[in-house]
Amino acid sequence: MSSHAASAPAVLTADSHATAANKALLVGVAGIVVTLIGLFFSSGHVIAFSWLVGVSYWTALAIGMLLMVMIHHIFDASWSVVVRRQWEHGISAFIPLAVLFAPLVVLAWLPSTRDIVWPWMNPAHELHGHGTVGSDVLYIKKSGFLNRNMFTGMTLAFFAVWIWLSARLRKASFTQDTDGDIRWTRMNRVTSALGIPLTALALTFAAIYWIKSLEYHWFSTMYGVWFFANCIRGALCSTVLIMVWLYRRGDYNGVLNTNHFHSIGQLMLAFTIFWAYVTFSQYFLIWNANVPEETFWYNIREINADGSPNQWKYVGIIIILFGHFVVPFLYLLSYRNKIVQPRIRFIACWVLCVIFFDLCYNILPALKDDLGNAEPLFGINLLWTISAVVGVGGICVWSYLRSLPKEKLIPIRDPRIEESLTHHEQHAH
Amino acid sequence: MAAQPHGLIATFENVSDLMHAAEKVRDAGYKFWDCITPFPVHGLDRAMGVKRSHVPRFSLAGGITGFCTGMSMIWFMNAFDYPLVVGGKPYFSPMFAFPVSYELTILFTAFATIGGMFIMNRLPMHYHPVLKYDKIHRGLDDLFFIVIESRDPRFNSAGTKSLLEKIGGKEITELEA
Repeated sequence: MSSHAASAPAVLTADSHATAANKALLVGVAGIVVTLIGLFFSSGHVIAFSWLVGVSYWTALAIGMLLMVMIHHIFDASWSVVVRRQWEHGISAFIPLAVLFAPLVVLAWLPSTRDIVWPWMNPAHELHGHGTVGSDVLYIKKSGFLNRNMFTGMTLAFFAVWIWLSARLRKASFTQDTDGDIRWTRMNRVTSALGIPLTALALTFAAIYWIKSLEYHWFSTMYGVWFFANCIRGALCSTVLIMVWLYRRGDYNGVLNTNHFHSIGQLMLAFTIFWAYVTFSQYFLIWNANVPEETFWYNIREINADGSPNQWKYVGIIIILFGHFVVPFLYLLSYRNKIVQPRIRFIACWVLCVIFFDLCYNILPALKDDLGNAEPLFGINLLWTISAVVGVGGICVWSYLRSLPKEKLIPIRDPRIEESLTHHEQHAH
Repeated sequence: MAAQPHGLIATFENVSDLMHAAEKVRDAGYKFWDCITPFPVHGLDRAMGVKRSHVPRFSLAGGITGFCTGMSMIWFMNAFDYPLVVGGKPYFSPMFAFPVSYELTILFTAFATIGGMFIMNRLPMHYHPVLKYDKIHRGLDDLFFIVIESRDPRFNSAGTKSLLEKIGGKEITELEA
């Protein structure tokens, strides 16, 4: 509101930035330490799964930001020029994310832990009630795709694609700040034209290898799209948090106006509907076809082996259906909820929390107890999942905060910077 | 005595003159008045103190109607009027009624939005008093106008005329009703 807009911009020194970055790093390390302490209370399986949730959560956000940069360039968008720089800082996190993902790959190559996350990594892995993975016809048919070499090579390729694209987009944009050469804009457009299909393929296969293959019997052609929807929603929500934060701190004062928040709020609403469309389609087709190879995936998220409902049923209805769709959908229909900063910040935080639960819903029920039932969400294991997300998050935020002060706040010499600064000409609320 | 005029019209040379003038008319408390410009001017609605459109309320009502229509239609047809088992599914489930409901949500929202827009902007309008003004065609070309209508409670010929003069309006003319 206008009183905040009037507050004087804080004077920011390199020191204060460094302090903030160090704090984030400290939070990250603390989160990782807490997750490791979890090894004394829960099994290695649980900790490895928690780690997978943490890494895939922040990778999803970074992928979303990478896609937003490329979508911005490919559409030659004007309004988003002033926020694009924040995405460019955000995608610096791919390098630490690759390092943070590495332990899961390394564990798969150690003899004693090769099936700690993905059961199909170990042909001798015993399936509940029927033989081993190696003798499972559904595995044998998929083994050309689901094997350790492919997994390792593909995971390396995903990160290589994302890191390469991020480096190119960042370099061109940052260089344009100094020389103002239009060719950097053109170069980014070409990078984006190539990068969007590459990133789409990489994120689809990443979702299949990292998450969907936890239950490799299952089929869903919607899976990559579901992951993509979460990537974009996560990126948009974290962008809102960054925008509000930098506006309140004074940096974005006079740069952002109501329409920037309106535009990003509209995208949040659009992708809320898109996410619901994809997620519902997946559920509806499986429900309608009623084929056991597919329905079991939802069954373990609804009932125990004895038919009694388990926790995941309520997670699905309350957190996923209402929390991830109904509430943000109805909330974001309102114009004022999109433009008043505390209001859009609230729903951005809300959706970021629910994305975490959505990933939990997709990853954690693959953890089974002795009866073959999904381990419940709410219990001590949730603590390690949260600490893993905080741990990986601290490192990612550290990466962002390290990149932030090195460059100009906005791409001052972008050909469309003026259009972006006067996006429909109104003042922020 | 002639009939009450429709109002007073004044011309302005450029956007910034019009913008500042509009702010002053708004601040003077007029409600029934308008700006005529050759092209859309960003920020003019704000300068005029125009509130956001009420069309979204029509849209919301249309959307809710569409969703309820879809759900109740499928329920009526498959579970009430002619109960039929298809594919071993229950007579009614929101699952298979949902695609229909959401298609109808979109359809009814679109109808309500278009209809609501026409209700709110009162189009089509075959006659408007400003069309009699001999310079009005320049409002499609290079001139900007402010019209203050006589039905505004604050309107009085002399006072409104002096306001229009003070805010820089040229060629202040009385419009026939």
